[in-house]
Amino acid sequence: MSQRDTAWGPMEVQRVAASEAAQALQAVGIELKLCVPNLPWVAPEGEAKDLVRRAKEEDAEPVWRGDAYLLLSEPGQVTQALQHCRDELGYSQLYDLTACDPAADETQLKLIYGLRNLKSKARLILQSRVDKAAASVPSVASIYQAADWHEREAGEMYGITFVGHPDPRNILLPDDWVGFPLRKDYEYPDEYNGVSCKE
Amino acid sequence: MGILENSLPDSILTTRVDWMINWSRASSLWPMTFGLACCAIEMIAVGGPRFDVDRFGAGAFRATPRQADLMVVAGTVNFKMGERVKRLYDQMPGPKYVMALGACATGGGPYHKFGYTVMKGVDRIVPVDVYVAGCPPRPEAFLDGLMLLQKKIMRQRVIRAEPKKVVLPAGIGAQPAT
Repeated sequence: MSQRDTAWGPMEVQRVAASEAAQALQAVGIELKLCVPNLPWVAPEGEAKDLVRRAKEEDAEPVWRGDAYLLLSEPGQVTQALQHCRDELGYSQLYDLTACDPAADETQLKLIYGLRNLKSKARLILQSRVDKAAASVPSVASIYQAADWHEREAGEMYGITFVGHPDPRNILLPDDWVGFPLRKDYEYPDEYNGVSCKE
Repeated sequence: MGILENSLPDSILTTRVDWMINWSRASSLWPMTFGLACCAIEMIAVGGPRFDVDRFGAGAFRATPRQADLMVVAGTVNFKMGERVKRLYDQMPGPKYVMALGACATGGGPYHKFGYTVMKGVDRIVPVDVYVAGCPPRPEAFLDGLMLLQKKIMRQRVIRAEPKKVVLPAGIGAQPAT
């Protein structure tokens, strides 16, 4: 394991923190899977490309590089997990909350929560998956106030309903906007309020 | 001018009313600050001492549409802002002029193809008098656009009637059939 330092401490800290948090959360009954990157941070470029190509050819588990994350199997448990992270594990800051639509033919959206422990400098990423057809998760704005605007943005861009959000209006788009622009199957509007959107 | 030229004392000038009014309008354009994106930085630079838009009489940037007669749309206009642009334009007293500064205000700019919420040109909601190219335009381009607008204002007719369109009887002046 290479010791690659980041602005927020060495990578080793991140990895240890992720596995510790996974154990702590599993102990309180939250179902999750610890996903650890299987490509080292400092592999020679050619070698890394070989690994990716071989994994694709053999249809094996995808090779990736980055931060370890916890994949919650049940999005409904997000509030419980974040509450535990904040109160017991010391992750006092929610630095990001976003979503991701991997492909138009996928049926699920990714939900990504980024937490940071300002004392131990550890970063913890929690992920979950929600169905595109009925994307609905409990809001965490009551746990981390920073989630308020993040959830509004993720909600309007990806069409996710955050249940229990204090103020679920659009934050960037106009209130009467149709469609969710960051979904891969989004179709551009022809006109808005009588103004043509055509080229 | 004409027969009056040498019959008046030195302190009296004679001129045409239209020229006088247009000259006053063109020489004291009061722009409304409407910075929406990076073009606004160039607009601010124009107001500074290096480029000094005051030389052209357009240095009195107003923060209210009621006191302005030139709306400089400096930046990306999206649909949400477009409603405000229209409303502010409607609040300006006439005669009023609009300058579309930069690629975004002119035609959507870099967001032309994939900017789902960017208006592809502010001329879809307000009439634009002068377009300034650039992304963002240099301050010199802004001044060039301003001088162009001043030339346009000098051509306006205030009390003179518009030239009548001469309708020729049928057959006269028509293009010969080929």
